[in-house]
Amino acid sequence: MVVQHEAPSAITDAGTGQHRRGSARRSSRRPVGQAGPALKAASYVTVAVAALATLGPFFYILTTSLKDSASLFSYPPNWIPDELFWGNYSRLLTETLFVRWTVNTLIVATTVTALKLLFDSMAGYAFAKIDFPAKEPLFIFLLLGLMIPVSALLIPLFFLVRGMNLLNTYWALILPPLANPIGILLMRNFIQSLPRDLDNAARLDGCSEFAIYRRIVVPLVRPPLVVLGVLTFMIQYTSFIWPLVVTSDNRMNVLTTGLAGQRGVATIDWGAISAGGIMAMIPITIFFLALQRFFTAGSLMGALKQ
Amino acid sequence: MDDHAPPAVPAPRRLTGAEHRRLARRYRLRRTLQAYAFLAPNLFFFGLFLVVPSIWLLLVTFQSGGVYGEAQFVGLDNWRQLFVDPLVTQTMRNTLLLAAMSIPALFVVGLGLALLLRNIGRGGPALRAALYFPTLTPLVIIGSIWLFLVHPDFGALNLGIRALGGDTVNWLGDTAIALPTIAMVEVWRGMGFWALFFLAGLLALPEELYQAAHLDGTNAWQRLRYLTLPLMRPVFLFAAIVAIFYTLQVFDTVFVMTDGGPANSTATVAWYVYKSIYVYDQAGFGASLSFILLLMILGLTLGALRLLRSRMDG
Repeated sequence: MVVQHEAPSAITDAGTGQHRRGSARRSSRRPVGQAGPALKAASYVTVAVAALATLGPFFYILTTSLKDSASLFSYPPNWIPDELFWGNYSRLLTETLFVRWTVNTLIVATTVTALKLLFDSMAGYAFAKIDFPAKEPLFIFLLLGLMIPVSALLIPLFFLVRGMNLLNTYWALILPPLANPIGILLMRNFIQSLPRDLDNAARLDGCSEFAIYRRIVVPLVRPPLVVLGVLTFMIQYTSFIWPLVVTSDNRMNVLTTGLAGQRGVATIDWGAISAGGIMAMIPITIFFLALQRFFTAGSLMGALKQ
Repeated sequence: MDDHAPPAVPAPRRLTGAEHRRLARRYRLRRTLQAYAFLAPNLFFFGLFLVVPSIWLLLVTFQSGGVYGEAQFVGLDNWRQLFVDPLVTQTMRNTLLLAAMSIPALFVVGLGLALLLRNIGRGGPALRAALYFPTLTPLVIIGSIWLFLVHPDFGALNLGIRALGGDTVNWLGDTAIALPTIAMVEVWRGMGFWALFFLAGLLALPEELYQAAHLDGTNAWQRLRYLTLPLMRPVFLFAAIVAIFYTLQVFDTVFVMTDGGPANSTATVAWYVYKSIYVYDQAGFGASLSFILLLMILGLTLGALRLLRSRMDG
């Protein structure tokens, strides 16, 4: 079950991330014999074109969200509207439950993230630092859970949650995602890399296991906790099919299901959809920008490696 | 802890063997209990929301109804229906086709961008963040954006094609083009993620080998072909596992952009599973279909994992 690969480094900025094998990333970024001026210029141009291709559509819906319905379909299209029209935004805020959906999303994503960080660091600590019977089989059993996609369990999960009378509640959105074992693997691998002397010395001093976890381990595992936190939050923020199945009450919609429900059957209100898309991106963008310097793919991949 | 304090108890006498064993047993028991206390929350949720549904899934496949009315035991009916329902074959074919179109494209574009990103120093973080941006975006929003971009009349794509003198393409209305259009959206969304993933792999390659190869007078193409690609094989295989696992479950884009149409040409397995719950009230059939989805994913990912392992050993 253990996947072996070598691959630390950068999602956004490799410089500040936690590297367990802590080498100087700066120097390895440009291996010798690479990138003469011509190649370098060509690289810049190509990557810039790709970045334009990724950002272009976002710019497109930004301008669309600022046009009134009359100028939406004008031909030739005016890419930058002459005069900004805020009606789409105010319509979205007053005629839909957009604010409520945003709050729901943030409640669910924050709660899931907080609980996952707590539970996974605890489980990771037990697997990494305590010897107990059936440790290895139990760990492998949990890893097998990684192979089971949620979309395959949709139907029994739906029956289960309905049987617990939780449809259209926050619990239905919060509890099932807690079953995902990926964070246990991440935390265990990282905690295992902490020197054994650290916890053994504390044990000899009479520290309880909980005190070792709380006072010694948790402060040292902040970097992987941030990685796991960003990852969990992002997955929850973008999740769609599960909220779609367990919510039918519009007041319990999250952003994704709420916005999807806005698509009318006959006519599509492009202005409002664009405005919704833009506004829905604001919280996650702020979140990501605030944490991106902690978030490196390297810490994730390094931790998954064994 | 004061080291200089006199011992509060008299100097310990030697433990007898029985006492020693008893104490050791008590210590082990306490550690075991502590360990399971640490594991308890995770084991609880893992058991309740992963193990129980996995077993339940099998039971549901022998039932019919259950979403709106009472469930009934129907034996193997759902399984039989799997083999006669033409939409099952079609959704499986669509899902595999979607993976076959999008994953190789993602890998080629992702690796290409990663190789180029390696040459970029200043401005790199901003470019990488731009490429990564779609990964942050909920697929529902991406679906809506692209629904607009590929609109046959006023979508940006067709405006561009018409400006260049081409014929209007009915991106989502043509049964032959709709699925490739979905694949295109998946590639657009995923290329930045895989570019950064592969970049991480590239940066971890041992630099000494490149220095040596450089001294040997190799050119850039030779270094890519005989050094980078073979060294990156484990990263590729790991990425393939993740990409297969993800792509076979594609639902959001299809649900938002086409809802399976036109003429079921973009209906995926996950889409059909979803429909079987509320729309068709055939949870039992949906469960058997989920089982097939599970087997497809397990088969393909385990196959890739096996390949990965044998490469590592060899």
